[in-house]
Amino acid sequence: MSALPRVAIEGVAFWHTRLPGWAVARAVICGEQDAPATSAPRPTPSLLAPTERRRAPDTVALALEVAARACEAANRPPAQLRSVFASTYGDLGISDYMCATLAGTPTLISPTKFHNSVHNAAAGYWTIGTSSHAPYTAISAYRYTFASAVLEAATQVACDGQPVVCVAFDVESTGPLGTVAPSRGLLGVALVLAPAHGESHRALTLRVEQGNAVDITAARSPAAPLVAENALAPCLPFFEVLAHSKPGNATLALSDHCLLHAQMS
Amino acid sequence: MAQPRFRPLRVTAYTVCTAAGIGRAATLTALDQRLSGLTRNDFGPSPLATWIGRVPGLEQCALPAQWAEWECRNNRLAWCGLVADDFADAVAAARERYGAERIAVVIGTSTASIGASEDAYRRLDPDGRYPADLRRPIVHTPHSLGDFVQHALALRGIALTVATACSSSAKVFGQAERLIRVGLADAAVVGGVDTLCGSTLFGFNSLELIASERCRPFDVARHGINIGEAAGFALLERGAEAGAWLLGYGESSDAHHMSAPHPEGVGARRAVQDALESAQLTPASIDYINLHGTASLKNDEVEARLVADLFPSRTFASSTKGWTGHTLGAAGIVEAAISLIALDNGLLPGTLNTEQLDPACGPQIRRENEQRRVQRALSFSFGFGGSNCVLALGRGDVG
Amino acid sequence: MSALQSVGERELAELIVTALNLEGVAPADIDPEAALFKTGLGLDSIDALELALEISKRYGFQLRSDDENNLRIFRSLRSLAAHIERNRTT
Repeated sequence: MSALPRVAIEGVAFWHTRLPGWAVARAVICGEQDAPATSAPRPTPSLLAPTERRRAPDTVALALEVAARACEAANRPPAQLRSVFASTYGDLGISDYMCATLAGTPTLISPTKFHNSVHNAAAGYWTIGTSSHAPYTAISAYRYTFASAVLEAATQVACDGQPVVCVAFDVESTGPLGTVAPSRGLLGVALVLAPAHGESHRALTLRVEQGNAVDITAARSPAAPLVAENALAPCLPFFEVLAHSKPGNATLALSDHCLLHAQMS
Repeated sequence: MAQPRFRPLRVTAYTVCTAAGIGRAATLTALDQRLSGLTRNDFGPSPLATWIGRVPGLEQCALPAQWAEWECRNNRLAWCGLVADDFADAVAAARERYGAERIAVVIGTSTASIGASEDAYRRLDPDGRYPADLRRPIVHTPHSLGDFVQHALALRGIALTVATACSSSAKVFGQAERLIRVGLADAAVVGGVDTLCGSTLFGFNSLELIASERCRPFDVARHGINIGEAAGFALLERGAEAGAWLLGYGESSDAHHMSAPHPEGVGARRAVQDALESAQLTPASIDYINLHGTASLKNDEVEARLVADLFPSRTFASSTKGWTGHTLGAAGIVEAAISLIALDNGLLPGTLNTEQLDPACGPQIRRENEQRRVQRALSFSFGFGGSNCVLALGRGDVG
Repeated sequence: MSALQSVGERELAELIVTALNLEGVAPADIDPEAALFKTGLGLDSIDALELALEISKRYGFQLRSDDENNLRIFRSLRSLAAHIERNRTT
């Protein structure tokens, strides 16, 4: 078993097609209001220049929305933050496009769609949009993606003593790929983590331990059925703790034999 | 609380499999004898007119039956890498020393197994679903690779896949080092695997970045890249008593354009400087640089100027992509391994296929091989989306 | 020269706006003589590749990126439409 030093959660962001924003998500999780009846249109990535904005696929729009909101909530200028971007499947719409086009007319691949197909597209657009030379990483860990992202971000804080924005997202699958890589709706989350000084922010303590998936925390709130079919749904128990202003714990799976215990003050 | 300081890690085992050779010895022979692994493209149903770095025989090596769930070209090549140079045995011994849960798996890729989905789309069943042999969800996600490597090595700790295009399997070194530094792991398997597929061949073709002939890095007449496939792995340990060294690393973003490097190499220069600083080295102390050198017009122009500006004339710099092709998500580990081979054997590979160096090149960039004992190397990886990573590697004593 | 679009220029304007997802640009508003690249519409090299692809799909001929006349061909909506008219096969 090993633990990281406490980090401060300086900013939180959440965006789902039926829970478009952390304020709404939190209220629904806590049972204070019902989720909006209709789906919200995808967010507009306003921090991108027009050329990048018109090229941005759903994954980029979603990731940049939550990254920007988290940085605002943390009152941290984005350009200075290292970043961790994470997605279970990346841009499923573009993957479907690539496979379908390759099966039919491979020499007619759209250059724009190809350059948006890389797993680090959102991270690339983020650093371009914020003029940030700070390093980023882009990771994937299947159903353990969110847990891995939080751990990676907290590890960077522990090593460098600098704040990090952690962004995770998954979008809707289309076409035949959806039969093996299922995901519905858009779900994006972001956290700004920083070294913990004093008590002004909620603190997060992470521990890694051997264990079994049966021991993970189940999502229980009214938000759970809404996000359940999105590939990033395993993140929800973490946000259910965050939504309540009292201390709480969530246990997430980090790999087949490994658990991440997240304790929040 | 003060942050734990970076300390160099030992590289106690490593391996590399490319079109130029399977394993370190074959790779050394290819480098020494100037034997390129590039061949005319014959990959896929309607091959583009280009050259590729294809690892021969992958079609014949199915994964062992116990790994059937992960079967696909990318994981076959991963397996090929794991069994080369007794790498898996070295990990098994480390597993005994540290415990299976104390060895992290941090592996890079850009393709993962997308080729399997491409294949599925050409053979959809009448209902529009994947054919039965490809209905294996773990294959159709980027973590197909990291997950396979963790299972194949019987490890039980942290495992993740890094996908930052051409810097992926260089960044894994830094991410693993940090996990070890904070005590979440005692050792790590790092590396990367990318395989030939339609997405990268036709994707780079749509950007007009593919060369119709053998690629010629830094050549005045260069006209694009050749795609290659490769697998490579390294075992990093704290406190081991033998092996090469990961002396440091630097990472940055260009913040310029998704598919073109910053024209002044702002991010690349920063990554170089951060790598040198973390390794406590100066440019003058670097003996060998394995350049990114893709043979694209823009990368090589920016990189040549950066090298000429930052390093003294005696620094030996080259691109080895003329041997292997651009292995994209595996380029970081392949070129780190080639740098280690150079350090271990006193062989500095030149820049294969290149005939006339671009005038932008300074005296550092070399075409011919040289035999010389060397101690300190840098490996450059500059990727799509402006992700830059520079590794500092060494042999011998670390001050 | 007229600032009004011909039928061919209008069709090309619509292709450009759709292919490049030019938000807030009405095809009819693109001045046929204005620059397409750098200034004017402010398109870049990726847009040029994307346009070449869409034009080849719609009009059945290949725009070559090494054509020494490209600066002239791609200069404006009018010049590009004229080039298409001369070379189209569909």
